[in-house]
Amino acid sequence: MTPSVFSLVHWLVWRDPRRRAENLLRFAEVEADGGRDLVRAAEVTTDPNLRKLFLKHALDEQRHADLFRGRGLALIRALPREGAAGIQADWMTPGERGLDDLRVEDEGDEKLLAFLHLSEKSAAKDFANYVAVLGADRPTQEVFEKVLHDETFHMTYTKKELERMAPRRAGWRIWSARLRRFWKAYLRLASALAGVFGFIVLTAQYLLVLPVFAWQAKRAERREGVGWRPIAPERNGSADRQY
Amino acid sequence: MKILGISAHYHDSAAALLVDGLPVAAVQEERLSRRKNDAAFPLAAIEWCLDEGGIEPDELDAVVFYERPMLKFERILTTALRAWPQGRKAFVHAMKNSLGEKIWVRGLIQAHLGVPRKKILFTEHHQSHAAAAFLTAPTDEAAILTTDGVGEWATLTVGRGRRTPDGATSIELLREVRWPHSLGMLYSTFTAFLGFSVNEGEYKVMGLASYGTPRFADAVRKTIQRTPDGAFSLDLSYFAYHTTVASSYSKRFEEAFGPPRLSWEPIDLTTEDGQRYADIAASVQLVLEEILVDLARSLQRETGLPDLCLGGGVALNGVANARILGESGFERLFVPPAPGDAGCALGAALYVDRVHFGNPDRPFPDHPFWGPPIGAGELARIALEDGLPVEEFAGDALIERTADDLAAGRIVGWMQGASELGPRALGHRSILAAPHSAETRDRLNRDIKYREEFRPFAPVVPAELAHRYFELPPGGVQLSRFMSGVFPVRSEWKAALAAVTHVDGTARLQALPREMAPRLHDLLHAYGRKSGVPVLLNTSFNLAGEPIVNRVVEGYSTFRRCGIDVLVAGDARVAKRVWSRATAEEELEA
Repeated sequence: MTPSVFSLVHWLVWRDPRRRAENLLRFAEVEADGGRDLVRAAEVTTDPNLRKLFLKHALDEQRHADLFRGRGLALIRALPREGAAGIQADWMTPGERGLDDLRVEDEGDEKLLAFLHLSEKSAAKDFANYVAVLGADRPTQEVFEKVLHDETFHMTYTKKELERMAPRRAGWRIWSARLRRFWKAYLRLASALAGVFGFIVLTAQYLLVLPVFAWQAKRAERREGVGWRPIAPERNGSADRQY
Repeated sequence: MKILGISAHYHDSAAALLVDGLPVAAVQEERLSRRKNDAAFPLAAIEWCLDEGGIEPDELDAVVFYERPMLKFERILTTALRAWPQGRKAFVHAMKNSLGEKIWVRGLIQAHLGVPRKKILFTEHHQSHAAAAFLTAPTDEAAILTTDGVGEWATLTVGRGRRTPDGATSIELLREVRWPHSLGMLYSTFTAFLGFSVNEGEYKVMGLASYGTPRFADAVRKTIQRTPDGAFSLDLSYFAYHTTVASSYSKRFEEAFGPPRLSWEPIDLTTEDGQRYADIAASVQLVLEEILVDLARSLQRETGLPDLCLGGGVALNGVANARILGESGFERLFVPPAPGDAGCALGAALYVDRVHFGNPDRPFPDHPFWGPPIGAGELARIALEDGLPVEEFAGDALIERTADDLAAGRIVGWMQGASELGPRALGHRSILAAPHSAETRDRLNRDIKYREEFRPFAPVVPAELAHRYFELPPGGVQLSRFMSGVFPVRSEWKAALAAVTHVDGTARLQALPREMAPRLHDLLHAYGRKSGVPVLLNTSFNLAGEPIVNRVVEGYSTFRRCGIDVLVAGDARVAKRVWSRATAEEELEA
């Protein structure tokens, strides 16, 4: 795909104000989650300098969450009320992934820094694309510009700290993190496909195989009645059964 | 005997270790994993409990899971079948959700701990609640009422518990109300309708209720009707949680109560919609209270007993608890510090020890502090690394210094001893502040807790002085030791306790006996000597969306990120260099 096609996709995704608002609100949640993970990273690291930087980064993420949320709410308030959220198209508007697929405790500082560096870099690229297509909505564009400014700092400090902590392994760590991102992207895709496959099989089973049991269950329900049900004495005291 | 209790897979997973009939350790997984309401199999909690008890898994006499997973699966499957064909999405979701690991609990425990199959036991969900309520309460005989969303099939049970002088113990559950008719689900449905997270936002509904008038009470009563035998049933046409995973309420529900609140929509009580939300909250709260009081009253008449032990998540509703104590005829009401599913780990272990194995009863220590202790010297180490001055105090000097801080209007993060089991900070992992001005409350909401303005803060007061400041019925002090009741603030003290007095003039106080948390008790008196009022604002030591802090490093990171002025952990005190006017970020830059 050429950049112009990407721009067209982004423009289409961000064109609708309701979807724009929903994306911003979703970004707010992701940023807040990422912030919490960074707090955890600050708690786990034994390096005082990193602790300070992670905490600052966490506060940035919280501020981003507030910015996204504020703008998302402002957009949604200007629209006619709708009961339920519209169709979500997360994959078309990636924000930061947060650290949702990373267990901070299981990572060393080096791995975490490499992961963060790539994550921030990728988010910065996405946000720059959004800025480019949001010319008609200056306030939203400004939100992304502010966030983008911080992302540049995050990208820089994570790289610098990684090079300080592992001067010889920094490049390898980043490549390793890049491979893990690919692997996790594959896993996400595979599990999504498995989910679709599972949905089809289980739905077919439900509709084709289970009607007889469903009929029996409904009949039993009608006989059941409501109100108090006595508890058989043998249920008190027994602890051997899973049933 | 060494018995490990486990609760997991729904919300608030936890582990508890019992040695010779007494708990040595109990902790929720979220406190260790740092994921709020963590429902995962509690490996970290189990590991910590075993370490704390100094025992290996093969030394355990039993491992008890807090519910019967196959029976629960039967309920889930049956519910999906009853909803055929509309229940297809619920069926798919349930199968994916259950078949992964949730129904293979015996194998899971065996794989992780290596204990033989015969040592793995199961209690019923509501037996665990009942045991957590009765076997931790200082009473020889009591009626028991447990109520929550749902366990296996039961959503509410009544029964009685008895300890005999020879040490034998019995818990007999007599009857139950079964799924899908559930008081917990009723409240949770309104929680979802009001735009809050289920199993988390029920507190918010209770707080919001005080701002409303129950003008929708009749509409709520249409959704839940009393049955001729004194129980209740839901009119399922208003609900959808039994047929779909997409929503817990139906179109008919929306027709009755209007459009639901969207989760991101702030509640503005000056608007028509904001007031409607408050009125709906007030209405469901009122109906819940009416039903609980009535059920408790019938149970009191039936058993003739003076004591009631209340368990299950609904027992976290302090307003309802206060009404039960005042109106049901029971003289004393016992609610454990963790009446929800986390407490079931302890309840299941106690049930198996006393009832299944028939071990003699032992008096249960009347406190909630069964979690990890704070590390000595940890705060000093971290703060010095960050260049913050640390002061260490011996004896009463720390108490006096902290009382000075509080009297000067500073907000204090307070960490002492072992952490609490359960959702409430009861004096070991608390944020403390002067309770006098509404400004303090607003500052806490704005700079520290980042939460809705309608949610109240709670006071803590020495138990022996509680009556001076609060209107407590007989048994009120006992109920309030774990912050389980909401009672009126005496009118002459409302102005002096503005930060902890809710809009309706009540407070969810903790009446603290000295033996439960001596240091906090001393601090209350020291603060009383300086301010004239030995009451403090006590809120859980965490920020929005995070679990209560556990280790010192977590308290420290919270302190650095918000407007807390002073952090006290054990004997050490660290203060911000710039008092609270500085933002957390400016402080980090400093």
